[in-house]
Amino acid sequence: MLNWLFFHVLSALYPHTEDFPGIAETGLAEFLPRFRRESAPLFRLGFYAAALVFVLSPILTVYLPVPSFLLSRRLLDKHADRITQFPLYPLRSLLLLLKVVAGLCWGAHPAVRARFGLPPLPADPTDWRTQ
Amino acid sequence: MSHIAFRDEAVELEADYVVVGSGAGGATAACELARGGARVALVEAGPWLDPEHYPHSTYGSMRDLFDDWGSQVARGQALWPLVQGSCIGGSTVINCAICVRTPDDIFEKWQREQGLPDLRGPILAHQDALERELCATEVPAESLGRSSALALQGANQLGYASRVMTRYVKGCLGSGQCLQGCRAQRKQSLNINFVPEVLSRGGTVLSCAPVRRILFSNSRAIGVTGRFRQPRTRRRGGAFTVRAKHAVFVAGSVTWSPVLLAQSGVRMPALGHYFRAHPGFGLFGVYDDPVDPNRGATQGWASVAFRESPGFKMETLAIPPEMMASRLSGGGTALLAKLRDYRHLAMWVIAVRAESVGTVRPGLLGKPVVRYSADRADMERVRKGLAQVARTHFAAGARRVLPVIYGLPYSIGPDEIRVIEDGPVDPRAYISILSHLFGGCVMGRDPATSVVDDRGRVHGYQGLVVADASVIPSNLGVNPQHTIMALARHFAQAALDAR
Repeated sequence: MLNWLFFHVLSALYPHTEDFPGIAETGLAEFLPRFRRESAPLFRLGFYAAALVFVLSPILTVYLPVPSFLLSRRLLDKHADRITQFPLYPLRSLLLLLKVVAGLCWGAHPAVRARFGLPPLPADPTDWRTQ
Repeated sequence: MSHIAFRDEAVELEADYVVVGSGAGGATAACELARGGARVALVEAGPWLDPEHYPHSTYGSMRDLFDDWGSQVARGQALWPLVQGSCIGGSTVINCAICVRTPDDIFEKWQREQGLPDLRGPILAHQDALERELCATEVPAESLGRSSALALQGANQLGYASRVMTRYVKGCLGSGQCLQGCRAQRKQSLNINFVPEVLSRGGTVLSCAPVRRILFSNSRAIGVTGRFRQPRTRRRGGAFTVRAKHAVFVAGSVTWSPVLLAQSGVRMPALGHYFRAHPGFGLFGVYDDPVDPNRGATQGWASVAFRESPGFKMETLAIPPEMMASRLSGGGTALLAKLRDYRHLAMWVIAVRAESVGTVRPGLLGKPVVRYSADRADMERVRKGLAQVARTHFAAGARRVLPVIYGLPYSIGPDEIRVIEDGPVDPRAYISILSHLFGGCVMGRDPATSVVDDRGRVHGYQGLVVADASVIPSNLGVNPQHTIMALARHFAQAALDAR
């Protein structure tokens, strides 16, 4: 359920377009459990809160008292654009955090990097000096 | 020589000096003490990553190299992140190794306002030596990248002084990976030189070892204690205690050093006060031809022409593509449409010589809580600085400029720079990062208004020295690494002389 919610929110922020793959096509299914396992607790908490705010806030942006997953594709896109630029600073800051986390997944994908003229990134090493 | 990483068993050691923190201040002090023949134990909260362990992605950098994923923010009117490294080498692993000498007016200011002796002679002598040892050189033309070349061209066109940066980099390849750690080992972060030298001179390095308390015998510091922490799972391991025969050097960073002192029972009126920063702000120029911002040195050009008035430094900066999307406004298809310009964007930034002050205190969970807000005068510096960056972009041939300021148009043309000059003075309208931090344990003669003296010794205590940016009592207006390292060497030599 939580995964479905994150997919919905992040895909609204980084949807598939003519130019770019959407975040759902850039390894989000592997990214989310890794992020939940590895990220700092406060960082993760902020991410969860931001996702919740995104879902509950269409009333503020498209003036409909429904959760974001009930919006049409056109209204969801409008909501994604407006909520990230909302006048209330705490909301805008939370949404910035959501964009940052989503960007870590989306921007590192080989297809996106290729579009930016950059080579693919090798996998990150997972160890450090122990001796 | 030994390196002790995370373990479940308890560890007890003794050394002549214990140095807490292995960043610019700690590693330099430890190396200087070891060169003086002392037995040194260097204790670092983060893991030891060799260049082959450096992550490639920004996600990996935040996870492996940044303190708490870079999630620490200064609480004030706006929430601005504080970026610090947490690994052997500290922030020198994730910065661009920019080498700028301490400006003359700073020494005069310290003498006048803090009652300190003239430190110009010893500090500049140390900076001379450091420049030689760490190969301070200008970014070679072939690694400069187009963004920095354009900035140089724009500044020349406008007739103000600017230059290619001098950095501690040996033969830069222009891989654009400074912020993720230089795998090519060209950047001279201190994990690849000073820290190994401490080991080779018989020292001990503890990694994954966050210090919880400084141990005292009356008012003399006699060691430190803490528990190992597994870097990935954060699981707590065995306890460690490192006793110091002569002194404990604290170099945990501007946020951690005042907190460690406070949690260890040090009570002084100035402890945790006079926190300062250079808030960093950026804007983008959009060019007709591709700029390819991630090809070439991450930072290659700078100007200090406006350091004294209105008070900002200008630099180029290439942020990784993962971070670019969050720097542009909006979401959904509108955001992705903006990202079509990615290859044509050049990001240039200002580091504001802000006069606002804040505090650093231990929070409920033992983590530092920083309170800091930029005042109106500083925000006016921000507007002037960003307007100057915009002018330089247009002088360099930018088609449009993206101010990325809340409430302003997404993009402006050359005849619209006024909108930035008249822009908001509310810090919440701006996205900023506090990357150069100062204060919290400031240097001075008077124990009522300072924490350490001109040799880094904590007033009223024996064997306790602070040797990082937290001792710096004023904003420098330039990148602080060179000043931090020179001060750390100065303090280490003073400690050796006093033995």
